Amino acid sequence: MVELANFAIHTLNGIQYGFILFLIASGLTIILGILDVLNLAHGELYAVGAYVAFSVFGYVSGAFANPEGFVGLATFLVLSLLAAVVAAAIMVPLGLLLEAVFLRPLYGRDEVYQLVLTFGLLLILKDMNKLIWGPLPVRAGDIYSGINRIPAAEFVGLTFPTFKLVIIAVGAVVVVGLFYFFNRTKLGRIIRATAIDREMATAIGVSTDRVFTLVFAMGAFFAGFAGAMALPQSNASLEMGANPLVLSFVIIVIGGLGSLRGAFVGAMIVGVLSRWAVWQYPPAEIAAPFAIMALILLVKPNGLFGTWGETA
Amino acid sequence: MLKATNLKKSFGQLVATDDVDVEFGREPGEMVFIVGPNGAGKTTLVNLLTGLLEPDDGNVVLTRTDEDGETVERDITNMPPHERVKAGVVRSFQVVHVFEEMSVRENVRTAVLSEQDLLGSAFSFSDEHGGVEALVDDLLERFRLDDQQHVVADKLPHGDRKLLDVAMSFALDPDVLLLDEPTSGVSARETDYVMETIVNVSKAEGVATVAIEHDMDLVSEYADRVVALHQGGVLGEGPASILETDDELRRVLLGVGA
Amino acid sequence: MSDDDHQSLKAWGRRSYVPATTTRDGDRYVRVSRGMVLSPRRIAGWLALLALFVAVPDIASLSSSIQQRVLHQGVLFGLAAVGLNVLLRHTKLVSFGHAAFFGTGAYTAAVLASQFDVTSMLLLLAAATLVGTLMAGVIGFLSLRHTGLYFSLLTLAFGQLLYAIAQGQSYLGGSDGLPVRPGEANRATLFGVELSADVYSVVVYYLTVLVVVLALFVMWRVVNSPFGNALDAIGQDRTRAQFVGIPVRRYVLAAFVISGIYGGVAGGMYGLVQQHVRPEATLYFLRSGEILFMAILGGFGTLVGPLVGGVVLVFLQDVGRDFTNYFDALTGIVLLLLVFGFPRGIVGSLQSGSRLRAAVSTFSDDPAIVGEWATEAWTSLWAAVGRARRNLRMLVLGVR
Repeated sequence: MVELANFAIHTLNGIQYGFILFLIASGLTIILGILDVLNLAHGELYAVGAYVAFSVFGYVSGAFANPEGFVGLATFLVLSLLAAVVAAAIMVPLGLLLEAVFLRPLYGRDEVYQLVLTFGLLLILKDMNKLIWGPLPVRAGDIYSGINRIPAAEFVGLTFPTFKLVIIAVGAVVVVGLFYFFNRTKLGRIIRATAIDREMATAIGVSTDRVFTLVFAMGAFFAGFAGAMALPQSNASLEMGANPLVLSFVIIVIGGLGSLRGAFVGAMIVGVLSRWAVWQYPPAEIAAPFAIMALILLVKPNGLFGTWGETA
Repeated sequence: MLKATNLKKSFGQLVATDDVDVEFGREPGEMVFIVGPNGAGKTTLVNLLTGLLEPDDGNVVLTRTDEDGETVERDITNMPPHERVKAGVVRSFQVVHVFEEMSVRENVRTAVLSEQDLLGSAFSFSDEHGGVEALVDDLLERFRLDDQQHVVADKLPHGDRKLLDVAMSFALDPDVLLLDEPTSGVSARETDYVMETIVNVSKAEGVATVAIEHDMDLVSEYADRVVALHQGGVLGEGPASILETDDELRRVLLGVGA
Repeated sequence: MSDDDHQSLKAWGRRSYVPATTTRDGDRYVRVSRGMVLSPRRIAGWLALLALFVAVPDIASLSSSIQQRVLHQGVLFGLAAVGLNVLLRHTKLVSFGHAAFFGTGAYTAAVLASQFDVTSMLLLLAAATLVGTLMAGVIGFLSLRHTGLYFSLLTLAFGQLLYAIAQGQSYLGGSDGLPVRPGEANRATLFGVELSADVYSVVVYYLTVLVVVLALFVMWRVVNSPFGNALDAIGQDRTRAQFVGIPVRRYVLAAFVISGIYGGVAGGMYGLVQQHVRPEATLYFLRSGEILFMAILGGFGTLVGPLVGGVVLVFLQDVGRDFTNYFDALTGIVLLLLVFGFPRGIVGSLQSGSRLRAAVSTFSDDPAIVGEWATEAWTSLWAAVGRARRNLRMLVLGVR
């Protein structure tokens, strides 16, 4: 019975982690699928999001460092979510700037240059974080300590931290929202059409420039949002961008290039499996996602839902 | 001789090739044109014959006469493209595919090196194989490209690019050469020049040539035989004169006499 | 073409022999060996470069500001970049996981030295090369089904897998890594001879020079061979390459393995030089990025460019570390300058017909042009910022 409860807890942890991963990977996969740009600086945008959320929340939360009672705790939760949205919103102009200044001149050039460029941006953004927030990790635990006061949720005999449930809920809303956006709204369909055939999209009067800008801003938004959502349970550090970036790659490979559905399934697989690994055999945690990736590649070279991967 | 039997291919609901039986290269140097309206399945047929696509059903057999004068049959239905090339089935594309950053000479040399099975050699110099260079010279001359042999391919005028593409195909010493619209995109002034060059070389070398062509004047002038496709199937075949005499063909192809 | 014709055409083939010195466009050229005809200036340049390499230990002992170790490390990463360049320059595939082979080589040497007490330098190096090659075979097999960015992404992920393994396995020393200190003298031996610390570093250095010269020569032969020609063909038009009869998958895998060999050798040498191997320094994906960057910095359209890029980058980072805390950003800015200003890299920009050459000659004609360039750069930057602002307004307020 304890085993079963543990299993459920770790699975829930995995799902929660999976949603965080999906938030990161979704931005990357949208940019990759539509702009044909592999944004290596994506992980740093995630880190910037975390740092900004830290500052924003730290600024407003002075009064709520020790929230009391239901109202206080509820305000704390709402504020932390608001901080995440603000942090993500701040990423939008940053994303627009990066796209307009650096990426735009590179469309149509050898793809190696955009890799070098986004790699350069990665290094610069990393040092920018260092300049603003210092070389040491900022301890999010202090300002988010209120999190521990929120009573854990209890259901069918399991206790589970409420904030993680909030992340799951928010993640689910984002997933539904993204699918709705790309499948049901006119703008979403225009963006997908652009991804499939740029020339055709231009021919029917779509401004691909605007679509690219919008998509890049969306990608930056979700990267920042993911960083801000992940922050309360960890620290913001200079190295924090690397791991999510690489895991996003793994997720994209598992799910299939350019498939949002694939990114979701991939994120869940990686999230749950790596949490199970932590539980059963901790050394496997880092390697597990890659092992899954290699396995899936052997069976399905284009990933689970991939149709866009080019084959030789 | 390249022979397809009961060849079928569909993409979802669309039947692109519907139970096609064709033969190409009944005699050396035979010039066959595939004609038909857009969407008749011409390019799909060529793709199936050359290995870019795999058929859902049916087979493709290559028959050739070896050195001892014996007839050898090979089923090449599921053979990958590069092996088909080695077996003697070579193609060009509607859109020119050449190596854009290489000079004309280097392009042709690459094909000749491949034909001579020298491309695997990692410790000789590409341009030091005397026999290869002589073959390259000969091909450049036949396709009237020798003046431009040091021009980089993407700087070449369009008609010459088409010729370069075909020259590379000839360099591969094909038994059967399939050309997907060799004159597409070539200016009206140049089409005759391009087609005449191709036909001259293929007749001289005895290469059975198959070309998809929309220009009925060119077809009438150069065809030994015509295969007409419509809605994935063979509508008719025969000498070029059937384009004048077969009413149904005329109706489908030219919209005449409807 | 009929077979008869082929025979007669083959008989026409005659070899042309080039004399020892030859004249092209009025300039004198010297024929160094088959396939290598150089102008006297270039020969002098090559000899000078070689002499410089050979003299490095002496220079380093004279001047304390130049560290042999830094240069040495640059040369080794540069060698890996030369290998990577087979893919980048010829088959046009961007591998972002080349540290995998470098690290595999380094770790092979370390494991053999520390766990099996293998002392022979040459044996360690050979094993590093072999295992690096095998690793390239496996990773290549799995990633080469794809091209373009998907391929880059796969190579990066596989590289990170190896990093994760090295981090996680206590047998491999975890994040502390492993020492490469076999034998009683704590150093590898050459032909059974134990070397003192000073001699060891010099011997390892000259071994590196030997390996690099040999590796460059082999690479030069390969890229000018019909095989190199086939790789160029694959890079320029994959479809056409198939339809001239090239077994594309097999050839690309061969190219990938060749590039892996270079990574393995370089990594093995690195293990011998540093005498300690860490996952962070050899396998981390930022190292893969750096190897790629070295090739581009030096000029990936050239043979020696990646090597030059390696030396320059490692040197720059080393100097940068002393100079500022923000050396990563410094590297990043160099990258941006490279992408926008000198896409052909250092060596490529020095070659004739490059933008740099043209710019320099314009500049010497009229130094005032600098002002114009600055204005131009400023205008285009300002235009981009303006575009970003407009886009933001559009996003917030909607299209009007």
